[in-house]
Amino acid sequence: MIVYPASLDAIEVDALQTDRYLDALLSAVDRRAYDVPADPAVDPTLRLAARRLRDELVRTHPSFRFEERLARRLADAAARMRLAAATGGEAEAAIVPFPTPLLADPSLAAELANPELALLLGARYAAVASGDAARGPSLAATAAASALAGGTPSPFRPVVARPLLVGGALTSAALSLVGAAFVAWRLTRGAPADPMAATTAVDAALGQRRLA
Amino acid sequence: MTIGSAGRVVPLDPDRSLVRAAQADPARFDPLYRKYLAQVYNFAHHELGDHHEAEDVTERTFMLALGALPRFRESAPDDAPPEASTFRVWLFRIARNVIANHRRALRRRPTAPLQAAAGVAGPEDVEGRAVARADASAAWAAVRRLPGDRRRAVVLRFVDEMSTAEIAGVLERSEGAVRVLLHRALRSVARELSAAEADDGSRAGDVRRDAGRDRDSR
Repeated sequence: MIVYPASLDAIEVDALQTDRYLDALLSAVDRRAYDVPADPAVDPTLRLAARRLRDELVRTHPSFRFEERLARRLADAAARMRLAAATGGEAEAAIVPFPTPLLADPSLAAELANPELALLLGARYAAVASGDAARGPSLAATAAASALAGGTPSPFRPVVARPLLVGGALTSAALSLVGAAFVAWRLTRGAPADPMAATTAVDAALGQRRLA
Repeated sequence: MTIGSAGRVVPLDPDRSLVRAAQADPARFDPLYRKYLAQVYNFAHHELGDHHEAEDVTERTFMLALGALPRFRESAPDDAPPEASTFRVWLFRIARNVIANHRRALRRRPTAPLQAAAGVAGPEDVEGRAVARADASAAWAAVRRLPGDRRRAVVLRFVDEMSTAEIAGVLERSEGAVRVLLHRALRSVARELSAAEADDGSRAGDVRRDAGRDRDSR
């Protein structure tokens, strides 16, 4: 016989007994057993209801097509996240728009207007709500503010707006190439190195033309 | 297993290695996705009762989970059971919130599933038949009539086979409260099933009486 703590109410004791029965019943499937030895403490009608729920609540699987489509979508998003992480840290960059910005799906954005969900997905919402500005703006707060303002919320941008960083990396590389080409061109032309001297020369030439 | 700060044996998250791999490289999220796809879909399907809406919610749940995975930590409030901090519980809490949002959106712009307009499912429509079978089940009908958290607790316990501690994590309640929720839910279901059987019995008696009367009149 099991002795329960005196602090428990009658309903809590009943609930504990039912819970033990459910543990045994649901694990009986692994042993290929239909039922478990009758526990006299558990109401027989409850036991019958539990067995029927175990047998009659159907388990369904989504279609294979849906499974693979979502797998592809997740893989695409993961690839964008990897790319973003690989080029992270380039703060000053030109914006290079991607065909589908990472997780910038409006329906996903709408989800994050829910502060509870936002809190679950990232603790930064709480930091902003409590006025801890040092920890930066949160994706959810941004989404909520955007939603309140009537705009299209885009909560993932502040956190994973990495396409901008990718753009930064590309821009830096492009600038370096252009710079090298420009220097090479100037060297072959033999143009005056001092821009001030060049300006003075042009000014003098214009003055002579005006006098003539 | 490991020993917690209070000297309690704390089971490790069985998905820890998969989660760490996915956090290091998002491309390795796929095993977690394959493992929990059906469970999340089932939860959504039982909550919403519509296949397309369940797919929609499942998709959003996994997209949000992937985006937020770098911030996932195995941590739960001090009074919560250790199982409440696993990846599975975290994922189902996302699903629960996405479903709540979805319901709110549906209330704003109510729609009816296509099956309702189409009437009876076609012979090749296995899924439609499964839904029809589920709808016809008295147990399922009784579960659908349960109020919010009782229904969720039953679905998580019987369909997704979660422990009480895990359900407590998903529903953000204490283990004791979840046990009482489940006990009360079972009592309601048992009452409904008894009433349905009594109803069926009396209907069967009526049919037998009618049949006897027909024989007599012939």
